[in-house]
Amino acid sequence: MENFHIESSTYIPRIDFDANTNVLEIEGESYHEYTIEFFQPVFEWLKEYLSSPEREITFNFKMSYFNTSSSRRFLEILTMLEDYQTDSNGKVTINWYYEESDIDMLESGEEYADDVNIKFNLIPVTA
Amino acid sequence: MQLEETQREFFSLKTFKEQLGAHRLSLSFQGMFSQDVLSLIGHTLKNAPDSRILSKRLFGLVVEMAQNIHHYSAEKVFSEKEQRDIGIGVVAIGESEEHHIICSGNYVENNVVEPMIERANYINQLSPEELKQFYKEQRRAPQRKNKPGANLGFIEMVRKSVNPIDVRVEQVDDKLSFFTLTVRVNKNI
Repeated sequence: MENFHIESSTYIPRIDFDANTNVLEIEGESYHEYTIEFFQPVFEWLKEYLSSPEREITFNFKMSYFNTSSSRRFLEILTMLEDYQTDSNGKVTINWYYEESDIDMLESGEEYADDVNIKFNLIPVTA
Repeated sequence: MQLEETQREFFSLKTFKEQLGAHRLSLSFQGMFSQDVLSLIGHTLKNAPDSRILSKRLFGLVVEMAQNIHHYSAEKVFSEKEQRDIGIGVVAIGESEEHHIICSGNYVENNVVEPMIERANYINQLSPEELKQFYKEQRRAPQRKNKPGANLGFIEMVRKSVNPIDVRVEQVDDKLSFFTLTVRVNKNI
C-alpha cells in the first residue's frame, strides 16, 4: 500500500506514515478547527494499514502543541493501535517525544500511557 | 454596520487606546475567529518575553476560547474562504500585577446558559486529580452529535491556568445573552 504524507502548516502537523518500515510519525502543532474532517483521511489510511496483521509498529509522536479536539483524535488513534495488538497479533511501541522543559507535554504523554495498554516510551528532547 | 457621521464622533481612538492601556491589554481581537487569526495570535504570544511554558499555556488557553467562539457563538458570518458560517466574538489578553488575564466574549442562546454555568461550577470545584480523571473520562466519551468540539475546553482551561474560570452572563433579550469567560494565569509558575 501507499505511504501517507501530510505537509505541516501553522496549525496542522506533519504526518508521515510508512507502510513498509512500519514507522508512523506525527510532528508539530495541531489545532485545526475541524479535527474530525482533518483526521478523516488519517483514519482511513490507518484502517487499511491495520487490516494486515502482525506488523511491528513504531509510532513517533513529536508534538509541541495540540488542542483538546486533537487530543480526542490522538486517543482514537491510540485505541485503534491498542485493538490491533489484541485482535491482529500486532506489536506497537509509542515513542512520545517532548521538549525537556515542557512539563505539560510530558503530562499529556503520561496520561495517554495510562489510558491505553501499549508500550510507551517518554523521551525528553533537549531544545 | 455603517455608523452615521454623528455617531462616529463618539468613538475616540484616543479614549480606546487609553482604556486598553489602563487595563494593560496587550492584544485584543473582535470579529471572525478564523484559523489565520488564531495562528497570528499564537505567533505573537510565542514571541512574548515570558517563559516558553507560560507562553504556550497562554496560547493554548486562547485557542480553546477562540474555538469556542468559532463553533458556538450565536452571532455568525459566512466565510468565503472556509465556505461555512463562523462565529464572531472578542478575545482580549491583559495582565494585572500577579496574573495574565485572558477574556473571551460572545453571544449565546439563552437556553445554553444554564448548562454552561453548571458545567463551569462543577469543574471549578474539582481537585487537580479529579480534573485529570474527568478530562480522561470526557475524552473517552463519544463525540457529541453535531458538535465539532471535544467538550474538554473548560476542563483544559482550569487545568492549564491552575485557577477557576470565571463565567459571566448578561441577558440581552428573550433569545440572546452575552457570555464572558475569564481565565487567570499566575505569572509565577
